[in-house]
Amino acid sequence: MKFINLLKKELKELINAQMIASLLVVMALLVAMGNMMSSTINEISNTEYKVSLSDRDDTDFTKSLLDQLEKDGSVITLIKTEGDNYSEILKENNLDSIIIIPEGFTDLINKNEKPELITVSRMESAAMMSNISNHTSDVTNLINTYIYKELSKKAGITEEELNYMTSPVNIVENTVVADKSANISVETIMNNVMMKNQILPIVVFILITMVSQTIMNAIANEKIDKTLETLLSAPVSRSSIIGAKMLAAAIVAMLNAAFYMVGFSSFMSKTTNSTNLSSNMDSLKEMAEGASSVGDILSTEAKLSQLGLSLGITDYLLVGLQLFITIMICLSVSIILGALVNDTKSSQTMIMPLLMLAMIPYMISIFADINSLPVVFKTLVYAIPFTHTFSAMSNLMFGHYSLFFGGIIYQIIVLAVCMFFALRLFNSDKILTISLNFGKKDKQKTNSDT
Amino acid sequence: MGNVLEVKELSKKYTKVFAAEKVSFEIGEGEIFALIGPNGAGKTTTIRMIATLLTPTEGDATVAGYSIVKNPSKVRECITYLPDEAGAYKTMKGIEYLKFMGGLFTEDSKKINEFVERAKEINGLGERLNDKIGTYSRGMIRKLLLSRAVMTKPKLAILDEPTSGLDVLNALDIRKTIKRLAREENMSFLLSSHNMLEIEFVSDRVGIISKGHLMVTGRTDELKERYNAPNLEEVFERVVLENEVH
Repeated sequence: MKFINLLKKELKELINAQMIASLLVVMALLVAMGNMMSSTINEISNTEYKVSLSDRDDTDFTKSLLDQLEKDGSVITLIKTEGDNYSEILKENNLDSIIIIPEGFTDLINKNEKPELITVSRMESAAMMSNISNHTSDVTNLINTYIYKELSKKAGITEEELNYMTSPVNIVENTVVADKSANISVETIMNNVMMKNQILPIVVFILITMVSQTIMNAIANEKIDKTLETLLSAPVSRSSIIGAKMLAAAIVAMLNAAFYMVGFSSFMSKTTNSTNLSSNMDSLKEMAEGASSVGDILSTEAKLSQLGLSLGITDYLLVGLQLFITIMICLSVSIILGALVNDTKSSQTMIMPLLMLAMIPYMISIFADINSLPVVFKTLVYAIPFTHTFSAMSNLMFGHYSLFFGGIIYQIIVLAVCMFFALRLFNSDKILTISLNFGKKDKQKTNSDT
Repeated sequence: MGNVLEVKELSKKYTKVFAAEKVSFEIGEGEIFALIGPNGAGKTTTIRMIATLLTPTEGDATVAGYSIVKNPSKVRECITYLPDEAGAYKTMKGIEYLKFMGGLFTEDSKKINEFVERAKEINGLGERLNDKIGTYSRGMIRKLLLSRAVMTKPKLAILDEPTSGLDVLNALDIRKTIKRLAREENMSFLLSSHNMLEIEFVSDRVGIISKGHLMVTGRTDELKERYNAPNLEEVFERVVLENEVH
């Protein structure tokens, strides 16, 4: 009952209008971003190639080339240009890109020489998606293919022979995961698995930041307002006080995690669906050319299951358990750190080492496989308890059960040690007397000295 | 009249310095005892040890017969503590705060309601108790906290600088409440203050503390007579000077 009373008070302090509003804003942003990404990718994959082109050669060959491009689905806007002041050409015609077929283009082809095909693109940003609507390279590929086919025809090579020459062997790609194998390429697996694997590290990182800050501020505020002294002098056990604080923060963290998971899943699923749609469209085009089969496209999920790369309900429960242990480690460490600070500003500084410990495995999990690191680095990275959470999904997917369960056991040991020190701190008068103020005058200590 | 509090040679040492050294005194039932001394004299350290927040380096104290060293959880059932410049949870309403604190002393909801009713009578905040504490003035918060400290009728209420930072009217109100509760309800109080004129008005006995040492204890009129001083401030000055000479 007393514990419930304390828990209710802690929850009431943590779950407030600001928190709910920020969660809703994050959810709305993620859903909106998902929709935006989805529509952008769909636009790119579904629409025809729109390009501006200047035909300075103006021969029958280039005319039939342009006809073929339009038949292939390109929308060509013909523009008359002169000279090589390209920035002026783009500016005058209000364009972002243009393809220029120079004079003498056909003559050089007829002489079996390589003509130049000029492309001009305006670059305004280095962002990944900034040049995504520029179809110049797609159209130059189509031009190359057209010329290639025309030259082959001229040499008496049939389309079937040409297709054979382009792709003389059928590559049958098999991938082995642990002791299971499936007829699927590594690249396809990577495309499918990567998106799923990225959600957990993002959520874990946000949670570590949020949980640590919340509990440290809670302790620091209680110390500043001296409500902690009032609580500690009341007839209620110290373990109940610390337990209620930790449980409330864990509940709020899990609530946040659920919201973020839903938000990110919505974002990722929209992005992934669009990407899959786009890649399936490409595959369908390839299939039409005989390079693939319907089965290859439709059974990717089934093949991932065959390889054991699809996570089941037990796997998700195990990941949830590890997430919970991670949050508890964060809470116990943050309680100790929170006891060292006397104001919320200091708590922001104090959280940095904890964030760095989360940042290192987070960054590594995005860019590299921890197991492929040199032994010394691998040991150091695995010594960080959060590493095991970041690699949880990957370990379960690829059947590294010893690493996964070893990680859980290690995290439980770390949690037990941290909890021992946190409880010991709360059960001693150190909770009121210790502080790290980096040279600042310690108000708490001054009071203790009186 | 039995003693509610007996302090026996209580000491607290921080690294090399004694914040309180061999402090001994006692408080009887219904008695108001005040520890007086300048800032840094050792008042808060002594009070925090009795409130079981700090562990004594040496010595002991008993509250209603329970040792603060051996049985701190039992001591907490007999005391309430109001820290100097204490705040309350700003996001809570006054009434919620009282219910929450009452719930730490008993699990009986009927008793909690009795505590809250009693606190309401003492603090006189009326309808403002339904407002968030964040909207309260300093005086209102202090009244709320004082009512919280006495609503459970503890054997010993420990109040550290109960009127610090308050205006004259609010301070007077709180002093009157403390006196009334001691007289009418036989509640014992341990106060600390550096405002000696306030203490002269409110307390039955005082203990003068300086540099961690409790120099002298006694009734204010006795001390004034013994040191031939017109008020407690001059008593304090003479006691401190005497201590420095020796």
